[in-house]
This record gives sequence, C-alpha cells and structure tokens, in this order.
Amino acid sequence: MFDFTIAGVVAPIFLLVFVGFTVGTVGGFIGVGGGYMVTPALIVFGFPGYMASGIDMTHIAGKGVVATVRHRQLGNIDWTMALSMVAGTMLGVELGVRLLVHFKNLGISSVVLLITSVIVMFGLFLYTQIETRRAHVKTEQMTRDGEAVGREIQTSSLPRFFQNIPFFPIVRCRTARVVVSMWVIVLVGIVTGVLAGFLGVGGGFIRVPALVYLVGASTHIAVGTDLVEIVFSGGYGALRHSIEGHVDMMAVLFMICGSMLGAQFGSIATSYVRGPAIRYILSYSLILATFGAALRLTYVLTGQSVEILALLAVMLTLGEMIFLCLFIVSLVWFAVRRKRGKVVPPWVPALVVS
Amino acid sequence: MAESSKARAAVKFCFWTLAAAVLIFIVARAYTNGQMAAWFYYEAKVDGYAVNARSIMHATKEAPAVLKVGPFAYVDGERAVPVRKGDRLPANATGVIGADVVKRGRRARLQADTLVVTIPWQIAEKSGFKFKDTFQHKGIETYAWGAVWNVLMTLGLGLTLGYMAEGFTDLLGIKLEKIRHFEGH
Repeated sequence: MFDFTIAGVVAPIFLLVFVGFTVGTVGGFIGVGGGYMVTPALIVFGFPGYMASGIDMTHIAGKGVVATVRHRQLGNIDWTMALSMVAGTMLGVELGVRLLVHFKNLGISSVVLLITSVIVMFGLFLYTQIETRRAHVKTEQMTRDGEAVGREIQTSSLPRFFQNIPFFPIVRCRTARVVVSMWVIVLVGIVTGVLAGFLGVGGGFIRVPALVYLVGASTHIAVGTDLVEIVFSGGYGALRHSIEGHVDMMAVLFMICGSMLGAQFGSIATSYVRGPAIRYILSYSLILATFGAALRLTYVLTGQSVEILALLAVMLTLGEMIFLCLFIVSLVWFAVRRKRGKVVPPWVPALVVS
Repeated sequence: MAESSKARAAVKFCFWTLAAAVLIFIVARAYTNGQMAAWFYYEAKVDGYAVNARSIMHATKEAPAVLKVGPFAYVDGERAVPVRKGDRLPANATGVIGADVVKRGRRARLQADTLVVTIPWQIAEKSGFKFKDTFQHKGIETYAWGAVWNVLMTLGLGLTLGYMAEGFTDLLGIKLEKIRHFEGH
C-alpha cells in the first residue's frame, strides 16, 4: 500500500502497476491510450473521479512516448502523416473540451457524453467488424489459392474516395505509401480530436479506424502514427489536468513503470500479426467499452437507483483489459507455434504472419 | 562485429537505465520531501478557510469537526486559516472550504472563532461512476510551472524507459527489424 498524499488516497502499488501493464499491452497493440478503461479502474481503487481522469491522461502521455519509441524501431510511424495531423488534433481537442463545458453548463453532460460514446463506439465496432471479417475471408481464400498474402488486407473502398480529393497541398506519406490531400489528414485530426476532447479520452479508438478507413494507412502504421498523436494530445491534456490540480505524479510514475513493460509487449506483438488481427482486437475493445458505457447510461437514466448496473459496468470495464491482454498473448502464442510448424486453430493462419 | 554491437547495446542500456533512475529519483524525492505538495496546494482559488481535508473527513452531524480559526502557519485537524483568493496556502492545507459554503451553513458554519464542519464529503459522479468527493483539492490553485514540470517529467520518463527497454532487447540479442508492410508473408 502507498499513501498518495496529493490524491489523498491509500492504494496498493501492485494494482496501479498491473493496470499500467494491461493497458500498456492493449495500447501498444491497437494504438489506443486506454482512457476509457483506466479511469473507472482508478475510481474503483478510491481515487476521486477528476483525479482518475488527470492521472490517466498524464500516464497516457508517458506511455505514448514509450510505445512510440518501440513503434519507431518497428517502422510503424509515418511522420509526415503524424505531424500533418497534430495541429488538427489539438484544435479538435480544444473544441471538444469547450463542447463538453457547454453541455456541463446545461447540466446534461453525463447523459450526452454516454449517449455519444455508445453511438460512436458501436458504429465503429460494426464497421470495423464487418470490414475485418471480409478481409479475414479474403485472406483465407488467398491462402487456399496459394497466393502470397501481404501483412495488410483491406476491403474498404472509402480510402480511394478520400485519396481522390484534389485539394492542395497533396502530401506523400512515404512510409504508409499514401498520397492524399493534407486537408483530409487535418480534417481527420479535427474530427477525431473533437470526439476525443468531448469524451475526455486520448482518441486512439477513433483515430486508428479513421486513419485506416479514411486516409488509407495500413493498420500497423495507423497504430504507430496514432501513438505519436497520443503523445501530443496526451501531453496537452496532461498539462491542462496538472494546472487544474488533477494529477498525483507518484500514481503516474507507478502506472508508467507498468505500462513500460506492457507497451513493449504490445508493440512487439504487432510484428507477429496481420492488420486484420489488430482491427479485430480494436473492434472487440470497442464493443466491450460500448456495453460498459450502455450500462452506465442505463444507470444514469434510471436515476442511479439500480446499483447493480454500476457494479456490472465497473466489472466489465476491468474485465475487458484482462480479456484483451489474454487475446493478444494468445495471438502471439499461436504465431510462434505456427512459425515452428506446430498445429494451430484454423482461424489463426489468416491473422498471423509466418 | 557482433562484439561491438553487443557493447553498443550494453552502453545504450546502461545510459538509459541511469537516465531513467535519475528521473525516478528526482520525482520520488520531490514527492516525499513535500516539494510537489507545495506546488500542488499552492494558493487559494476562492475566498474561504484553508483546512486539512483529510483530517476532517470522518466528521458527522453528531460528531462535527471543530476547527479553531486563526492566522496559523500550519493547519491540522484542529485548525483552519482564513484565506483570500490568491493567498499562499498554509503548510499542510489540502483544501479550501469556500466562504459561500460556510455562508450557506449546510456543510460547514462559523461559530464564534471556530469553524464547525458537519458534512465533509458528498457523492459525486464522473462519466457514470460515483465517487466520494471531499473538501480535498477544493478551492486550490496549483503552481503553473509545477504543472509544466509534471508534464516534462512524464515525457522524460516515457523517453528514458522506452529507450531503456530498447537497449535491453538489443542487449539480449533480440533483433527487431522494421516490419515489411507491403510484402507477402
């Protein structure tokens, strides 16, 4: 147990390191900050809600740097794309925060925030799940036909539409092999930034699908590039929260130590899998988070009288982190077995690289 | 050749481990010697009474916390210091009970030269999650440069720990090559 004198809480160090580790693993693998998972966990450990948000956002900035260092080594970052998006992201986050303050003043921030979360996350889950399923089937077909299968298989036609928008300046993102109007990237930054600022999260779970389906980046590059954005948006959020007095640095320190280990594993795990595997994990994280938000929304709409709903929401959110970690571990385990020529389940070869 | 890359990896790992250890030491020392708390509980954001919120959080209507009001340099579970917006907070203060709260008299009230606190916490909610919200952190302003320091330390920790891990895998001889995104596998 450690006495966090600034937060005014006594909490076990092990749990903070563990949460940092699990969210670091998931974040390093699918390129999300994991704010929607960590904040509830910290509240369960006894941190006040505002402190939980501040500690979470600050740790996300640190974890973003850790994961960025590793993804840079793996060649998963397109710096042109990342830096083109930064200004849009920052502007979007600021607009999102102001929008949230507006709804707060109207006294309906919780309901609007939860409804938006449910709609956005469920919509993204549906699209990602359907598209990834199609990509999975296509990969299996190609494998059966004896064709060489690339690390990335996408079936969405949206990137072609956005890449054909002719507004000057057109940028060439060499690592992602994408040529697209800079305004498309900036717009993606603004829109995802608004949602991130409004929902109070890093925004990775919106930005990764947007980079894949709108800009046309491969999933691995979307993950690495998004983590660079998370460093900027997380750093900005951390500064705002620190100024407001929502950050206990010792809690952040313990969480970063855990997430350092997790982010290594999650980032390196991406080198074992194809793009659709990352998108599957992303979509499962989205649907689980949607269930959590839906339970909390029901709880708020029923006048906070059915306590079991709040309890279920907390359990689901905490269980989600462990479930996703185990899923990632199992994918790496199967990838290694396949490399060694051992038997793996039939759905595995289409998701991992040999 | 292999020897020199192993030596380079060892130097890289040692350098970044040392850098990370130095940063962790600086953060831990600033936390334990009270420097960070002094930046955190820097000045009053509102007019009111500076208190140590933690020491009064078990007060009830039946057993209220009775705090002596005066210009003390240090507050504890028996003292409160009147402050104006912008005043530096006394040592050990962790919150300010706003003058408006005292005026309403529901949670705290003035009684001669004492401040009587009866309801030191209430249930608040964040994104649908309930938590116990006390007077702690209320009515306080943090030191802006302390906030910048927090962010710089966080980013520095991320950078040093990230490179330390990279140095570690290099040292173990785990060769992580750039992913060939556009080739068949």
